[in-house]
Amino acid sequence: MRLLIVEDDADLSRQLKSAFKDAGYAVDVALDGEEGHFLGDTEPYDAVILDLGLPLIDGVSVLQKWRADGKTFPVLILTARDQWSEKVAGFDAGADDYLTKPFHVEELMARLRALLRRAAGHTTDTIELGDLMVDNRAARAFVDGMAIKLTSHEFRLLSYMAAHKGRVISRTELVEHIYDQDFDRDSNTIEVFVGRLRKKIGTERIETVRGLGYRLLDPESETTD
Amino acid sequence: MSPDLETKAKRSPPSLVSSLVRAAALWAVPGLILVTLALGLVSRNSSYQSFDEPLEAAVLGLIASVETGNDGILRLSRELPDPRYQRALSGRYWMIGTTREVVDEDRYLLIPQLSSRSLYGASFDISDADFQILSEQGQDPIKFTTAGPDIDANENLRVVARQVVLPNMTTPVVVLAAADRAPVIRSIRNFILTAVTLLLLLTLGLIFAVYAQVRLGLRPLFDLGSRIADVREGRALSVEGDYPPEISPLATELNSLISHNKTIVERAQTHVGNLAHALKTPIAVLRNEAASTETTPSSIVTRQTDTMAAQVDHHLRRARAAARGQAIGVRAEMDPVIDGLVRTLPRIYRDKDLRIERTGDTDLIFRGHPRDLEDMIGNLMDNAAKWTASRIDVSIRKIEDGMCTVTIADDGPGLTAEEIETALKRGARLDEATPGSGLGLSIVKDLADAYNGALTFSRSQVGGLHAELRLPIAVDV
Repeated sequence: MRLLIVEDDADLSRQLKSAFKDAGYAVDVALDGEEGHFLGDTEPYDAVILDLGLPLIDGVSVLQKWRADGKTFPVLILTARDQWSEKVAGFDAGADDYLTKPFHVEELMARLRALLRRAAGHTTDTIELGDLMVDNRAARAFVDGMAIKLTSHEFRLLSYMAAHKGRVISRTELVEHIYDQDFDRDSNTIEVFVGRLRKKIGTERIETVRGLGYRLLDPESETTD
Repeated sequence: MSPDLETKAKRSPPSLVSSLVRAAALWAVPGLILVTLALGLVSRNSSYQSFDEPLEAAVLGLIASVETGNDGILRLSRELPDPRYQRALSGRYWMIGTTREVVDEDRYLLIPQLSSRSLYGASFDISDADFQILSEQGQDPIKFTTAGPDIDANENLRVVARQVVLPNMTTPVVVLAAADRAPVIRSIRNFILTAVTLLLLLTLGLIFAVYAQVRLGLRPLFDLGSRIADVREGRALSVEGDYPPEISPLATELNSLISHNKTIVERAQTHVGNLAHALKTPIAVLRNEAASTETTPSSIVTRQTDTMAAQVDHHLRRARAAARGQAIGVRAEMDPVIDGLVRTLPRIYRDKDLRIERTGDTDLIFRGHPRDLEDMIGNLMDNAAKWTASRIDVSIRKIEDGMCTVTIADDGPGLTAEEIETALKRGARLDEATPGSGLGLSIVKDLADAYNGALTFSRSQVGGLHAELRLPIAVDV
């Protein structure tokens, strides 16, 4: 899962980036509204954390532009502004959630997970695919109730595929959603990660669709199909 | 009336209208009295002058026509032409007398040598003082009053007399002509009566004219007063209207005062807000930094930053609340605030199937700051949204006296009497409040109180909490 954090306070954005990376997300940071808008406009983020009082372009305007351009990723507004009219303006501009500073990182993470869950159509933080369970809250995966050791990139890959279980996902899409901007992106590394992941969770769970990409099989939907 | 009110009533300065009318009466009434007196005096003098003239002529005529016979008896060579001197007790008399007889200590009786027939043998008294003047005056006539011969008519005569020494006589004689004063007194009295009546009417007319003039002159001031009331009552944002040059600067000054007041309040709020907002991000950073390690100092930092966060939030809201309530000339439309919350709350509480029903009056205007309205209704609706199973009823009703009620009812668990008391307690520590169970409710109460409104809680018909907020609204002119 790839996040964009638009926050002008350097310390706070650094903290958030570190916390979300630790939780298994790919994170990009923008320190002003212009850069934030550009990144949101050009990169396929799974969710955005947006401050309102930003240099160059304010948060509400950035959000309005994204929505006007058809961007549908969930946006959580994280701001010191706590007036009801500001909340109303934020939601009217297209925000999906609103959290006022100061806040607890745990709360922010829980809210963000809820946004991602909702966007993917899930109801809980854990996604089960037969005996495979992906716990997005703990950033861990289990097979048959046994925890498996995953690197952060492997977890991101699994988490993204689990969120879109049963759907064919192209390599490019995977690259876009599991790497942050600074990472040297090479789509061949995806094959390496998929190979490693197959070894850890079982080869048969990830199907290669030639010329299109990969698909994480959902035993439930396979049986119902 | 209580003693306090009595003192207040006594101390309050008199109205401008009554002061100005009284000031006008203060010069007009004595002035008119003086004019009446002067007119009376002039009229009296002129009446007596024209009254005295025929008498003086008669004295001169008598002196010219009196002759002393060889026998020493006085005779008139020619009678005076006025026939009234011939008719008995006609009110017109003349007499030439020589000596005097003492009547009492200071009055003398003149002994007539020759007199008009009208006198009918009677004579005249003269006071000692008048006689002295007569003796000293020489050729000039003197004028005095005395009782006439017609005792029944209570005659009061005006006498013109001269002392002359006739040829062939060694002692001087007194030549006098007299007439009844009654007609002239009557004429003077009539004149004064008419003058007083007219001047009294003039005075009343003048005072009424002054009153009308003052009312007319002060009308822009009364108008200004009602315009200021409009601003205070929230019907207008500034003092409007065209005023005469004398009042116009006052209206302008008042407007700049209102705007200055608004600016100061806004500025104070902005400063408090900026400070609080500026602190929020560093607190968030500190808190997150501390949360990422598990040492003892970090737990202290966590606790302290939590307290700081709660304090910043608490004091920011209190400061906003304190700055408001007295704001003059601010107003807020209620519909956009409620509609915005009705739109937004279901998005905040997505996990609930929130249904907000809004009923009652529309287009009401809150007489106060928009932010306060947001804080009050927002906190109450947010509280309802936190606790409700799914349904919230919001209703606004206009009631008498420029007030409205906003009722917010939910179908949640509601609050017990003790919980309500705790929630509304002034200065309740926010960090002790469990989420939603009163956070912000004391602020709502403080704000409602500041606007002379009220916040009450009861059990709602659908089972949960029923909050009723009473707020002032702008009354349309």
